[in-house]
Amino acid sequence: MTSIKTLSVAAALLAGSALSAQAEELHFIMCGGEVRPADQKVIDTFIGENPGVTVNMEAVEWGTCQDKSMQLAAAGDPPSLAYMGSRTLRQLAKNDLIVPVSFTPEEQAKFQPGVLSTVSSGGQYWGIPHAFSTKALYINCAVVEAAGAACKAPETYADLVALAKTVTDNTDAAGIGIAGKDFDNTMHMFLDFLYSNDGLVFDAEGKPALDSKNTRETLQLYADLLPYMQSGPIEWERDQMKDLFNDGQIAMYVTGPWGKGQHAEKVPSQMIVPIPHGPSGDSGTILITDSIAVFKGTGHEDLAVKLAKALTSGEAQYDLDSTWGLTPILDYQKAGMSEVYYTQDPWPVFVAGISTGGPEPMVEDFKSLQAVFTNMVQGILLGEGSVDELVTIAGQELAAVR
Amino acid sequence: MQDSGRTAPIMARSGLSEAAFAWMLISPALLFIGVIVAWPLAETIRLSFTDATLGGESYVGLANYAALMASPKFYDTVARTFYWMFLSVSLKLIMGLIGATLLNAAIPGKALFRILVMPPWVIPVAIGVIGWKWMYNGYFGLISGLLQEFGLVQDRVALLASKTSAFYSAVVTDVWVGTPMVTLFLLAAMQGVSRDLYEAAWVDGAGRWYRFRRITIPQIMPVIVSMALLSAIWTFNSFEIIWILTEGGPRGATTTLIIDTYKVAISSQRFGEGAARAVVIVTLLALFSLAYLYFLNRVNRYYGAK
Repeated sequence: MTSIKTLSVAAALLAGSALSAQAEELHFIMCGGEVRPADQKVIDTFIGENPGVTVNMEAVEWGTCQDKSMQLAAAGDPPSLAYMGSRTLRQLAKNDLIVPVSFTPEEQAKFQPGVLSTVSSGGQYWGIPHAFSTKALYINCAVVEAAGAACKAPETYADLVALAKTVTDNTDAAGIGIAGKDFDNTMHMFLDFLYSNDGLVFDAEGKPALDSKNTRETLQLYADLLPYMQSGPIEWERDQMKDLFNDGQIAMYVTGPWGKGQHAEKVPSQMIVPIPHGPSGDSGTILITDSIAVFKGTGHEDLAVKLAKALTSGEAQYDLDSTWGLTPILDYQKAGMSEVYYTQDPWPVFVAGISTGGPEPMVEDFKSLQAVFTNMVQGILLGEGSVDELVTIAGQELAAVR
Repeated sequence: MQDSGRTAPIMARSGLSEAAFAWMLISPALLFIGVIVAWPLAETIRLSFTDATLGGESYVGLANYAALMASPKFYDTVARTFYWMFLSVSLKLIMGLIGATLLNAAIPGKALFRILVMPPWVIPVAIGVIGWKWMYNGYFGLISGLLQEFGLVQDRVALLASKTSAFYSAVVTDVWVGTPMVTLFLLAAMQGVSRDLYEAAWVDGAGRWYRFRRITIPQIMPVIVSMALLSAIWTFNSFEIIWILTEGGPRGATTTLIIDTYKVAISSQRFGEGAARAVVIVTLLALFSLAYLYFLNRVNRYYGAK
């Protein structure tokens, strides 16, 4: 009897060990503070198709999320995968904290042009792009028309300055809202204009290329717009300016596709147009992606890559893009879909800029990169140097950024 | 002696020598200080000689310190930090002294005023500072609105959008947050001053100002000096007020040493360089505190405090 009991206990222990060996928990950090229904659907399917696998979702606000993921990894307790800004990938890769990702030629061909450049560094891809945004110029036609001007797209830098001047001179509103705060989208907005003037931050070989005629022309645009900007542009970041736009305090500003919904109620007469181009280039936009990165050292990297690929596959990705209102990250028509959301207004404006856009630069020390741009932009907004001096200094500072 | 008498049997029972027994008694405190203070400090000093980042570290000797000493921006930051500290602490002490004097006066509703002085201290700092941030805003802010309403300015005034006004706006907010505590400490000290001194001076014909100058101030001077030291250390390391208002901008105009350290060590994750800055802060504060304690000792001797 005793032997039977002993055998039973041993069998139960062995069974338990076998089950625990099969059980895998993926720790998935989702930056942004929420798990979108489109993603949750894929995760639920993934769990169903992989018995013994669970996914521990942790939604964390953007403010602390990326630091948390990085510090967990550096402390030896990495998450399995994390959805985070693609700009962090280079730092993670450099510190050997994430695994490279490979795409088949067919997979690569599905992405919109320029998207994969936002996740590549050193000849390898370090994340799977999962959310994409481009930018356009929003115009409050009611304000423009109150200034006695026709509400039509300014095509060039000069047109933009002229329209901003007309609004400022003839109404109580400012001509344009420009972000100047110590914040990432001060750099993003400047890059929207720089990429619309064929400018570069780094050249094809990765060497600093900011100290250029194109950058000088773009910074000169800021200098020209200064009298027609909202009061104290250094107080403002882009997302706060929707309130000024909705209140009719500014006639124009640059933001992403989400702006249409944010303005729809208070500014029914909004017009969304491509970003005006400079004397040296065509209208473009910054290409910003957020990606899923798979961390090293968890022991189930392959499983994590499998989940990441499932989340970013054609239909699942389309579901996310269309329900969230994102610029399409894949060329879904090329993938065989005929009825796609982005053929309808205003999406063509956001899609058109992709081919001429440029990536958010990938560096190890993103905050220092951001500081290069905010110093330069704030310098011109505060009148603390000429365009030439400020761009030269920015070029030198960029060379010191890791 | 009585204590020795009580501990002797314990030592005898445990077989411990007097020295061993003493070490046993202080060991919890030593352990606590070791873990909470000494080890982090030693680790920070060690890190400051490395190029530690997320991916690892290697020894770089004095390179981090040499880079700091060669940076004109760093000297600007140190000077700005001391200016920020002296200005803010001076204002807090002056406002605190005025507030404490008023609250100590025999006026109707004194208890209510004492409660009303508390909110800046009681409200979470972050909430209060966000309120100030809105007040400083050029478009939606109370200050700009009032200035325009009274015709003092024509255009909107965005106080956080220029270097000078952003710096002084941060000082005002820091003073707002820090004054209530100074006020309450000084009030408590004033209430400890013997009434007999005031009555004797009054009988001799001393006026209010004279009594304040020759009785109140000397009597509470040790508290003023102690409060100034504590306030100086807190203000020197004041982080959240500047961070919420300006994040150290525009163009570094409100970047103090602690903000600079945070940006380097945490935002840019250059832990080695950040640690070197932290060591500089500790050194500067230690030197400042030593000088201050020397001064405090002299003040206490001059005013007869024990």
